[in-house]
Amino acid sequence: MLLEAKEVSRAFGSFLAVDGASLEIEEGEIVGLIGPNGAGKSTFFNCIAGDLAPTAGRILFAGHDVTERSAEAHARLGIGRTFQVPATFTDMTVLENVMVGAFLRHPERAAARARALEILKRTGLSGVAFQRARGLGTPGRKRLEIARVLATGPRLMLLDEALAGLTPAELQGAIALVRAIHEEGVTLVVVEHIMEVILGLARRVIVFNEGRIIAEGPPQRVVGEPAVIEAYLGRAHLGRRKA
Amino acid sequence: MILLQVIAAGLLLGAVYALFSSGLALIWGMMNFINFAHGEFVMAGMYVAFLAVVWLKAGPAGFTLAAACGLFILGVVIYFALIREVLRGPMLAQILSTFGLALFLRYAAFFIFSPNFVTLPQTALTGTVDLDGIYLSVPQLVAGAVALILTLALHLLLSRTQLGSRLLAVAEDREAAMLMGIRPDRMQALAWGLSAASAGIAGALIALSFPFSPEVGGSFVIIAFVVVALGGFGSVPGAMIAGLIIGLIESLSAYWFGPVYKDVVVYGLFVALLWLRPQGLLGTQ
Amino acid sequence: MRWRPFALAAALLVYPLLFRGAFYQDMGALVLIQATSASAWNIVGGYAGQVSVGHAVFFGAGAYLPVLFYELWQLPLFVGVPAGIAVSLAFAFIIGLPTFRLRGHYFSMATIAVAELVRLIVSNSGFLGGAIGLMGPARPRGWWDLVFRSAVPYYYIFLAVLGLVLLATWQMERSRFGYYLRAIRADERAAKSLGVPVSRYKLYAFMLSAAFTAAAGSLYIIKTGFIDPESGFGILVSVQMIIIAALGGAGTLLGPLLGAILLVPLQTATNTWFGGGATGLTYIFYGGIIMLIARFEPGGLIELWRLRIAPLLLRRRGDAHAP
Repeated sequence: MLLEAKEVSRAFGSFLAVDGASLEIEEGEIVGLIGPNGAGKSTFFNCIAGDLAPTAGRILFAGHDVTERSAEAHARLGIGRTFQVPATFTDMTVLENVMVGAFLRHPERAAARARALEILKRTGLSGVAFQRARGLGTPGRKRLEIARVLATGPRLMLLDEALAGLTPAELQGAIALVRAIHEEGVTLVVVEHIMEVILGLARRVIVFNEGRIIAEGPPQRVVGEPAVIEAYLGRAHLGRRKA
Repeated sequence: MILLQVIAAGLLLGAVYALFSSGLALIWGMMNFINFAHGEFVMAGMYVAFLAVVWLKAGPAGFTLAAACGLFILGVVIYFALIREVLRGPMLAQILSTFGLALFLRYAAFFIFSPNFVTLPQTALTGTVDLDGIYLSVPQLVAGAVALILTLALHLLLSRTQLGSRLLAVAEDREAAMLMGIRPDRMQALAWGLSAASAGIAGALIALSFPFSPEVGGSFVIIAFVVVALGGFGSVPGAMIAGLIIGLIESLSAYWFGPVYKDVVVYGLFVALLWLRPQGLLGTQ
Repeated sequence: MRWRPFALAAALLVYPLLFRGAFYQDMGALVLIQATSASAWNIVGGYAGQVSVGHAVFFGAGAYLPVLFYELWQLPLFVGVPAGIAVSLAFAFIIGLPTFRLRGHYFSMATIAVAELVRLIVSNSGFLGGAIGLMGPARPRGWWDLVFRSAVPYYYIFLAVLGLVLLATWQMERSRFGYYLRAIRADERAAKSLGVPVSRYKLYAFMLSAAFTAAAGSLYIIKTGFIDPESGFGILVSVQMIIIAALGGAGTLLGPLLGAILLVPLQTATNTWFGGGATGLTYIFYGGIIMLIARFEPGGLIELWRLRIAPLLLRRRGDAHAP
């Protein structure tokens, strides 16, 4: 078992964003995390990443209890994450961005640089290595975030809508990149809106609604479940009425 | 008896602290932004009041109103000219902007009015009131009462009116507020105007009973920091209670240790607070 | 590009030989001292992006401790320098440890409050000379008192210390420490997610910066032999560091030095034009510059050059070569 969440809850004041969610992830899996907006999947995701402390429950990673550990401790243990809104270091070059990640396992500058260059090549960013991250578009920034996390040498990578907002062509490239990362033995948790992406990537999906896990299993089966349809359609219906 | 008098005077001054600190808390709460020039806004209010008295022969109500209007306009102008752009910039720019503004305002006053202390000419508000053996000066009493009422009014404005909920909606979620048809820019400009006006009125009220110079802003801004830190950042009711507490502590420490040490005690309290309860005494985590 | 720092170093080395007037040599020494303190501020304020507005507390400690040691035990001024640095490190720890766990402006507020607190305490403490201040040895008892009639020996001592600070900054910039600080400035949350121990690194940067600022304060007392609360702990001491670093370029190696080279002579000139600091015009001007930097180019002149002017020049050159 690589990651295990036991009855994790997170409250903001009186609002319970995640309500007793449990989940187990084996090494080598790709798991999709889906659900309508505001379902609590992002909050749950931030709890696993160590950005938020759960108000109840425990999270174990590779046998360590990481529930109360800081975000930087999560990174050291091998949990890497990207951000929904890309959080690149805009004033630094693309290479320097990736070096910040690489320094985690390679404290010497030369080694970190070599490692970063290697990762830029693998992620197809070599051409812009010496540009400032500020100059990249959304696809470039999302790719850079993935490269940066990859440089920390993660065992588990958490991708928070890393593929949203890409054109179909960019999307194919990004999916190929994620697959390649997976083939190197990195376990992945993917939060995504686009069903197509989840169906193409994940062998198991977990559906959130109103802070709870309402369904779990192979994607083709899960999307047919009445609870899932209701969660999505209910929202869609509401949305239509508002408009 | 004298102790009671010290306590009463402290609470009255504390009410004024509460008023200008609420303005700082409003900006902090809405924009997560600290205005280092807030003390200079208080100082500017004092000089606007001074000019209103000298030029227009305004009475206490008149010059307080003048300070309120003058500073409201200043706040809005500063928002559009400086803050709006800086809010999107790095933290360095955010802090430098109002720090530079503080310096600019302080030495502009220094240049125009000279560094000497001035007092407002005698106004209609004079004399003392004898409350069962406690003697309180009328200007201080009026200042404290007005400040308390205005702070409460600001709190009610934010919590009970539609305008208040619009302001808070921008604070909560800019994007969502825009979808609701609120124009965040206007709301933030309004908040800057209100914040500066609260400082300006507080300045005019303090000027009723104390002499002032261009350099007084330096201590007011730190007092405002202590008050918002104590009251929990961004909370107007918290700032109100904390303002009264700080006024009281200042007054008592001046009485017990000598006037020189009142700031030492208050600033020291701030440092202690950082270590012991960074979320503020009244705030929650 | 590579030759520029060396040209700058060479120019600084020969400056007092070329400008032999006492006025120019004094100004040169002043430029170096201001460049040193601004470069020190730059480590935490520029690289790490944690804006201290109370760095005067370190400058003051660095200036007061040597002269206090002289007052108490007639020790030469340089003996107290390590004590000034130690006190500054302690202050940095006291301010930094609680505030760096919190986000945003808390740190800046704490720095200004602590600096004012210390200034008030020093102004009211007879032991530290109160509002009048303390004086070093009036006439030298030996070479170890470091009293020279000419500004030139001071100039070279200051240049050596500035060189040390810049060398340390350069080393930092090229190491993991420097990359981590820049990452923290850009996005704390993202830095954390990549395993950067954010609070700890901020504290390291602050303490390193404090130690160097104290050294600058010590240089000041060694040259002037006199210190009072305003010139040691006053808010304007902090202002000076901030404006010099921000004008040249906060977060760049040579920005603060550039800022000092531009601003210190300008300040001398404006003081003459505007009739000294007494009218306040100099600081109105400073406040204006700080606001302009914040509003238009927080990266200062170096960024202005790199991002806006240099590309323009390059393009023009490119056009000329185009068929």
